[in-house]
Amino acid sequence: MTEIQLKNVSFAYPDGTKALENLTLTVPSGQRLAIIGQNGAGKTTAVKLMNGLLKPSEGAVFVGDWNTKDYTTAQVSRKVGYVFQNPDDQIFHNDVESEVQFGPKNMGFDPERVTALTDWAMELCGISHVSHENPYNLPYSVRKFVTIASVLAMDSDVIILDEPTAGQDRIGLDLLSKLLDELEKKGKTVITITHDMEFVTDYFSRIVVMANRKIIADDDSEHIFYNHAILDESMLKPPAVAKMANLLGLEKGILTKGQLLSVLKKRDLTRGR
Amino acid sequence: MQKNFIQQLHPMTKFFFALFVSAAVLIIPGYVFSFLVFPILLLIAAAAGIFKEFFGTVMKALLFLLIIVFLMQLFFYPGDHVIGQWGIFKWTEEGLNYGLTLTSRILAMGSAFILFFRLTEVRDFVKSLEDAGLPPMGAYVVLSTLQIIPEMRRHANTIMDAQKTRGVETEGSMLTRAKAFIPTLTPLILSSISSTEERAITLESRAFSAPTKKTSLHKLTKTTADRILPFVYIIILVGMVLWRILA
Amino acid sequence: MNSIIEMKNVSYRYPVADDWIIKNASFAIEKGKFTAIIGNNGSGKTTLCNIIRGFIPHFYKGELEGEVIVDGKNIVDYQLGQLGEKIGYVFQNPFIQVSGVKDTVFDEVAYGLENLGVEENEIIDRVNEILKLVKIEHLRDKHPMGLSGGQRQRVALASIIVMNPDILVIDEPTSQLDPIGTEHVFDIIRLMKEKGKTIILVEHKMDLIAEYADNLIVLNEGEIVLQGPTREVFANPRFGEHNIQYPHVTEVALHLQKNGVKLNYVPIRDEELPESIGWTNIGVGAHD
Repeated sequence: MTEIQLKNVSFAYPDGTKALENLTLTVPSGQRLAIIGQNGAGKTTAVKLMNGLLKPSEGAVFVGDWNTKDYTTAQVSRKVGYVFQNPDDQIFHNDVESEVQFGPKNMGFDPERVTALTDWAMELCGISHVSHENPYNLPYSVRKFVTIASVLAMDSDVIILDEPTAGQDRIGLDLLSKLLDELEKKGKTVITITHDMEFVTDYFSRIVVMANRKIIADDDSEHIFYNHAILDESMLKPPAVAKMANLLGLEKGILTKGQLLSVLKKRDLTRGR
Repeated sequence: MQKNFIQQLHPMTKFFFALFVSAAVLIIPGYVFSFLVFPILLLIAAAAGIFKEFFGTVMKALLFLLIIVFLMQLFFYPGDHVIGQWGIFKWTEEGLNYGLTLTSRILAMGSAFILFFRLTEVRDFVKSLEDAGLPPMGAYVVLSTLQIIPEMRRHANTIMDAQKTRGVETEGSMLTRAKAFIPTLTPLILSSISSTEERAITLESRAFSAPTKKTSLHKLTKTTADRILPFVYIIILVGMVLWRILA
Repeated sequence: MNSIIEMKNVSYRYPVADDWIIKNASFAIEKGKFTAIIGNNGSGKTTLCNIIRGFIPHFYKGELEGEVIVDGKNIVDYQLGQLGEKIGYVFQNPFIQVSGVKDTVFDEVAYGLENLGVEENEIIDRVNEILKLVKIEHLRDKHPMGLSGGQRQRVALASIIVMNPDILVIDEPTSQLDPIGTEHVFDIIRLMKEKGKTIILVEHKMDLIAEYADNLIVLNEGEIVLQGPTREVFANPRFGEHNIQYPHVTEVALHLQKNGVKLNYVPIRDEELPESIGWTNIGVGAHD
């Protein structure tokens, strides 16, 4: 499908502010990747390069075999979808269904495909039952799912989610988890920027840590959240489970609740309870 | 802004000056006096240390307008004394006179007000209006609009980016760009409307409608010059009117 | 009980709406206590905050039934402007909480005091004190529109705290912030708790709620389904019925309990986990 490559990419804003320094990153088709780091580290700049919103000052970005410099953002968005953090920056239709249909219609898909994709996206995002509602009458967190649906409906190979968990409750988080599974089944690549370390360790096998405009780590969650040098430089904290495992004096490497539970169950059995 | 004497004058003093200049050029006939006003204003701007900005703004705002107005009067003002011709266009003495008078007055009045705005911070101007009786809500509307405008520009750019990622083309022919209008403007307008409510709540949470008299950290003071100058303007104007009547 | 806020059988619906957003809510909040309002999105948390703060009924019209009593007086009898000094209000969106009429952070923080008619010298003293307290002195000359979301949220908090209200209503202040921004905001909230303010907080971050809140009010579809001391509410078996997030450690402990591990009590803070499952000696495998 579509592989994304950043080759020695640097980026500076028109006023000279540097945002990225010599980044090299390859995202194979179908991967789930989380990009984490403090605000200002360069995460948003990096993903905006991936969908052509920004063009590199140095180096090149390849989406499949397209060099993003040769295409407009609207063209690249056929292959790479981007869900912005604030849904109110995108929504402008009076009802949810029209909003979701907007993207696939712009892609020029034939009407059957538009309807099929719209229905699928709304179903996946749990908004089918409000398809005729005005988005602004819905809670903020539901509007977020409207924008996610409107990008999913474009059927791009790669989906970028910018802070999808911000402000979500338990129900929203469960929906996101189902969404990620479904996208994986379809072979889509999912890249997310997030501050939610539980979300990261539960659903993403590959994590890229950014700090000071560079990538400082590219590994699985175990090797990142138990590496104090990386945690210090990126000023990140590991998920709560790591702290719990530490308090219990358990071995290193435990990050998800599932892992913690299985380790504790084994220990409890051996202690003869 | 480093404040020198001229800039430290009360906003009302500066505003009255602009009014004074406008009245003066309307009282005095002809164009000679009116054209002389502009160099005087330039000198004042230089004394206040804002010569370059003032001159630049006047050129940007008025030059084009002045040229058009002059040419319109030159060629189309009704008159009998034809003094020249260019192709099918004739110009008359009356047209020339009227053109010069009109443009000189526009230049004088326009640049007088531009000078006022360049010499006065909006915050101080609004404060002086408040002192003169403008209700607090009026002051809020003026000041917040000024801050909102650059915010809206930034927001519009974000929205445009978001719509680009949904397949809206923004580069290319005029038609293509025109199609991007609605997807960009609508979210901007909608979110401005919905944020009005939250802005009102923010104001409320800052006790905007508290039933006490408000105080202010940045007060405006009137110096002796501020008290005398308005009278000086009036005296000069009265003198001009008398001279006009008697002469 | 020395209750500073009381609601008795309060129901509310917005104008031109059929559904009641809040249904028959009753609670009492004691002076100086920290109460968190939790519930899934759409359950009515923000509406409840609006009622406490008096925006309902003074700002938002609609039907309000029942009694809302703040500091001994019915909220209907207050003028909206009078409440500014009593109840501070901070909400989710940092970008709209800038007044929009001031050029510097200092003036921004002073704005509320100007509106309250406080004498100028006192304003300067109080603003300086708060800037130090909230640790934003380095921002004092900056233009409010040039600040990041986290910085704006801290300025918003400072602008409210400087008015010295006894009650603070804070609605999801960290949803749009990164972890460091969140930490800064909670530092300020902790300070306010130490100063004895009555705090009402709406949040999704259960770990932080478990650390700071004395009491919880749990909302589900406009009704208060549970309320009481934080520990009791999280330990209540009925909490799980509403599909609301637990603190991470509580979730782990409850799952262990379901799988046969005996719980001495339901932990709500990370450090309670070992004791709650009876692991008091942790010599084996301890590291760091």
